[in-house]
Amino acid sequence: MVACLTIPAFALRAPLRRRPDLTGKPVALAPAPGAQPHLGPCTGAAERAGIRPGMRLSEALATCPELELVEQDPAEVEEAWEQILRRLEGAGVAVEPVEPGCVYFETRGIERLAGDLEAALRRALDAVGPEWKPRVGAASRRFAALAAATVAPPGRTVVVDDGETRLFLEPLPLDLLPLGPERREELAELGVKRLGELARLPGAAVTDRLGSDGAEAWRLARGDDGEGVEPRRPPSELVESLSFPEPIANELTLGRAIAALVERLLARPERAGRAPRQLALSAKLVGGGSWRSSLTLREPTAEPDRLRLALAPRLAELPAPTAELRLELGELTDSPGTQAELVRPRGSRLRERLREGLRQVRAASGVDAVCTVVEVAPWSRIPESRAILVPRDD
Amino acid sequence: MVTHPREQSDTRSARRLNEPRPAAVVASDEGVPVEVGGVAVACVREEWRVVDRWWTEEPARRRYFEVLLESGRNAVVFADGERGGWFAQSA
Repeated sequence: MVACLTIPAFALRAPLRRRPDLTGKPVALAPAPGAQPHLGPCTGAAERAGIRPGMRLSEALATCPELELVEQDPAEVEEAWEQILRRLEGAGVAVEPVEPGCVYFETRGIERLAGDLEAALRRALDAVGPEWKPRVGAASRRFAALAAATVAPPGRTVVVDDGETRLFLEPLPLDLLPLGPERREELAELGVKRLGELARLPGAAVTDRLGSDGAEAWRLARGDDGEGVEPRRPPSELVESLSFPEPIANELTLGRAIAALVERLLARPERAGRAPRQLALSAKLVGGGSWRSSLTLREPTAEPDRLRLALAPRLAELPAPTAELRLELGELTDSPGTQAELVRPRGSRLRERLREGLRQVRAASGVDAVCTVVEVAPWSRIPESRAILVPRDD
Repeated sequence: MVTHPREQSDTRSARRLNEPRPAAVVASDEGVPVEVGGVAVACVREEWRVVDRWWTEEPARRRYFEVLLESGRNAVVFADGERGGWFAQSA
């Protein structure tokens, strides 16, 4: 069976661990710097005061003037999440993390270790620890496992038997589906509010109306997702950090700091000639808060110039002057390896990779680097009037 | 200074594809290119005129040349009869 372990509002809970003074108070995650002023997840006390995740900041403060805001701390979130994943791996669980607060795993392996399914799921919950209030769902498919984890009470498990998947999914809301708010609204206007209502619609009609996103949502609602679990390789990481005597905002200086970090990391004897595939750059920002950006290289490399070139564009994303810069090398590998994939990625995984590719192109060449050519007057005798370039947002 | 991400995104806008680029062209008395970008023209392959949008405030009056340079490269340049000057463009 596939199991899904979730820790709701993980992005808020991780930084809250260092703020015991906020226990029991209405607290929400502040919007990211430069992003739309919408709140992130909030605590139960905030929800009781009328606050909802995604609410506009001004509206939230008007609704609950005592609301405390916690700054986003992606470095803390990433670190806490990595510790949880390592504890799970230490308990014998081969994990496929999706995002901080959500991880999938196959139960077969640990069922043998623990005795039965219930004991295996309990072992995973114990590995995470009760302070995080994790929930686990298990089913024959990923989406059903996620749905089961969503309805499970904190610290408990919900197991969906194979024959009951559709019955279980039927009354659940559409929020579980990977659909944008517009698509969800469109479905709500059509009177479709539950997974069962979507699953009963003809697949061709859903595809026609909602496109490929809708088709995938329809398949998920019917419990038809065929993707298995791909456990990650437990990372072996090297980390170096550099603290500055005073906060730095100058890209040139930060670029030199990156060069120094790369040099120090490549000189570490534990690397043993292996090349990293993953890089993560994080920073402690002046005035609190942190920033983190990860990237996966097309091919592992231990060439300092290539590593610096890959990291340099990320500096432009830093939202504030930096007090400390930290670089991690992950997925160290002996051989670069250029073997092609046996099974071509499909569906959401393929789109996710494409999005990541486009993001890398934008990071390296600017936000306008990825455009769609739109023909406006292909018949025109003036060449520059025939088509325009429109920057893509996805 | 670090550029604020929002400032970057505000500059995004649609732009024309294949905009003419100013070109360094030396022309004969008859207005035929003899040198493009410092490279001599080996032969003129084709010549045509475009007169369009004369009813607008941005009329186009261009004399296009497709030339083969002595370096072996192909180039399309035009003399702009409205704005003056030479431009390179993929036709």
